Amino acid sequence: MQGDVRSRRIAVVADAVLNPPSGGGDELAALERDGWGVMALWPPGLAGEALDGWREAVVDQVVTFLDDDYEVALVATGDPELEQFRSALAVRGRAVSRELPAPER
Amino acid sequence: MKTVCYLAHCLLNANAKVDEGARAPGVSAPVVSLLRERGCTLRQMPCPELAFGGTRRFWAVREQYDTPVYREHCRKLAAPVAEQIRADLAAGDRVIVVGIDGSPSMGVELTASSDEWGGRPDKPRDEDYPVTPGRGLFIETLVGLLDPEPRVRVVGIGQDLFDYDERRELAKLGRLVSGDGGADAG
Repeated sequence: MQGDVRSRRIAVVADAVLNPPSGGGDELAALERDGWGVMALWPPGLAGEALDGWREAVVDQVVTFLDDDYEVALVATGDPELEQFRSALAVRGRAVSRELPAPER
Repeated sequence: MKTVCYLAHCLLNANAKVDEGARAPGVSAPVVSLLRERGCTLRQMPCPELAFGGTRRFWAVREQYDTPVYREHCRKLAAPVAEQIRADLAAGDRVIVVGIDGSPSMGVELTASSDEWGGRPDKPRDEDYPVTPGRGLFIETLVGLLDPEPRVRVVGIGQDLFDYDERRELAKLGRLVSGDGGADAG
């Protein structure tokens, strides 16, 4: 193995950052260059129990990182999933205050 | 036809790996770039070990995780993924699940298994990590939820193998995206 190379920095992103529209900015590449790990939110359109389960899994993982003092930030793209994530995190008594600028779309 | 790739969590976020298990600070750029260059839609699966064992967990073998509670944890995490995969298939998309060979949870063709491991963690991972043929517990659960579904291809990237060969693994992934190779989930 090669020692511990983990960056201890995680960016929470909407699906549009993983899968940007053609001609849009490539924030994923910028995050990779800056050493951020990426935590993607659920695909748009997910509903019902599947949405509940996917969202809970994301929140559980983010809480795990926050509780161990990893740096967590949001890429502020304005997608509705980000607000849903913020609300679900708040229910757990946690928040992510740092925002990274959104890419141009 | 669109190809949707469901990636093991750590391929986008190496912070989920165990200590000394990460091969990148954050994003595994070669894997992600290859898939994006081929026009794949990316989705990120949860890391079953992260929320269960935390960021400070030791590396482990399948038998150490193989409890009813961990299997239920995997089923709970895999269920929404399986539902989204079914939605993608219903929309006419191809689906590829990309796991991590050598992982006790995310292995596809290779996992880590030993009846000897347990107790005091005194074994350096890179000297005797017991890689064996077989699936990891999460992948096994996800494939079980999809069964029978031959339209889903499943492939493992060997990032948890001591002799990880990135060129070889990328070539394998590239072939699969091109329609050649991988195991089906049926």
